[in-house]
Amino acid sequence: MNLENDAIIKKDRLRFTKNKLSANLVLLAIVFNAFYFVNIYKSDVGTYYYKLIIGASVVYNLLFMLAAFLSSEGVKSYKMNYSYVLLGLGVGQIVRIFILPGAAKGATVTLSGAEEAVMGNAQFTRVCVYLIVSAALCVVAAVINISKSSTLTKYQAELEKK
Amino acid sequence: MSELKLQHLDKIYDNKVQAVFDFNLDVKDGELIVLVGPSGCGKSTTLRMVAGLEDISAGKLIIDGRDVTQMPPKDRDIAMVFQDYALYGHMTIYENMAFSLMLRKEDKNKIHQKVMAAAEILDLTDQLNKKPNQLSGGQRQRVAMGRAIVRTPKVFLFDEPLSNLDAKLRGATRREILLLHKRLKATMLYVTHDQTEALTLADRIVCMSMGHVQQIGTPLELYDTPANIFVASFIGLPPINLFDVEIKDGQAVCEDFVLDLSDREKEMLAGYVNKTVVLGVRPEDIVQGGNIPVKVFNNENLGQTTLVSGSMKKHKVTCKFREWCSYKAGDTVNVSFKKKHFFDKETTNAISRN
Repeated sequence: MNLENDAIIKKDRLRFTKNKLSANLVLLAIVFNAFYFVNIYKSDVGTYYYKLIIGASVVYNLLFMLAAFLSSEGVKSYKMNYSYVLLGLGVGQIVRIFILPGAAKGATVTLSGAEEAVMGNAQFTRVCVYLIVSAALCVVAAVINISKSSTLTKYQAELEKK
Repeated sequence: MSELKLQHLDKIYDNKVQAVFDFNLDVKDGELIVLVGPSGCGKSTTLRMVAGLEDISAGKLIIDGRDVTQMPPKDRDIAMVFQDYALYGHMTIYENMAFSLMLRKEDKNKIHQKVMAAAEILDLTDQLNKKPNQLSGGQRQRVAMGRAIVRTPKVFLFDEPLSNLDAKLRGATRREILLLHKRLKATMLYVTHDQTEALTLADRIVCMSMGHVQQIGTPLELYDTPANIFVASFIGLPPINLFDVEIKDGQAVCEDFVLDLSDREKEMLAGYVNKTVVLGVRPEDIVQGGNIPVKVFNNENLGQTTLVSGSMKKHKVTCKFREWCSYKAGDTVNVSFKKKHFFDKETTNAISRN
């Protein structure tokens, strides 16, 4: 089998196989998002977060997981639109670094008469890593899906011409 | 593809029930062997022993010169097609067909080529993205066959693959299997209780009863020269008519008729003079015109042929006339026998074969 044939077979395979790679990357992004919010919500810092938009954060987490899961199913079937949703979700994850973690880092709270940091450097680094990884996974999944869907669309157009 | 040898296979279950007795068979490369027999005769058990799904109690199973008696099913290089298709409902047809190769971690491009080639053979290319529940029974059975084909196994095993299909589809799928066999030139072992399938598909038929092999031969051999009364009765539709006759004075005599024996028959039955033997006459070997009166009680027109059921003084008889007949119940038709089979009454073996 020569390289040209291999390339055609690879394209032809797209007609019958699902884009599991993108779908699985998105599911992994959801997992990292879960690591992020568990890490934030488990912090024992009294009522500090209540003063911030913690409710919105919870709702956003739910929406993120729903949208990401739907996108995971969408990209599995090479649906291009879901790639754009994933790109949006990826950007959203980066933006989130500057909301809760950004506000909590360096802030202090008084617990049992003692002043304590709301978010230490270690926790800040961890939550940032979770969000960045989650964002990266969404973006990579989207890019892969864009690439595969356009290849498939072109290939199907070629087949129709024939 | 390859040769298959079953040598003195026995199957004894833990409760000491013996399902298969001393089964011997040599299957040549590219041959389609059909195991046929009534329910409980041990044909499926034999197939499952070949597949490795049942332990072999005694004997040897050799595939391509390699003793695989103790090998697990996965190492035998055998593919089996089941009656109920055994497809994965959550997978597409493509995934169902590719699944076994994916488990073997074969190259994805090669898997694709094999699946596409099998789909082409089975006319499933347009169905590859569908789920099994979106296909008809015949198409599902083709998918099950496709799953076997992609593996390019040494031996294909079919366990009553057409039993779940309606009559029309069964005929069509049967022809597809035959074409597939011719195209792949594969060694196939096929189990059925349907003699039509056996007669139309087989290169050779193995007729079984009660765990014993009754006869192995080509479809014509089993039809034309049955080894015993069981084979004679099982092969042929409607079944063969059987009469107890006494051989005396160069004639076969019973209450219903007296038949003059030919010189060949006299010679063949020389050892049975003044003894009772069983005479078998196939319905299609009974013709109108002769000196044996049959009182008609049923006349069934099947288009090209007519099935006439009637009775003699003692025996009931079924005749298959090649003409369109319109007998009424109570009519008498005179018949004669074209071809006769004689069986030893005690052993039930065919006399002509001795």
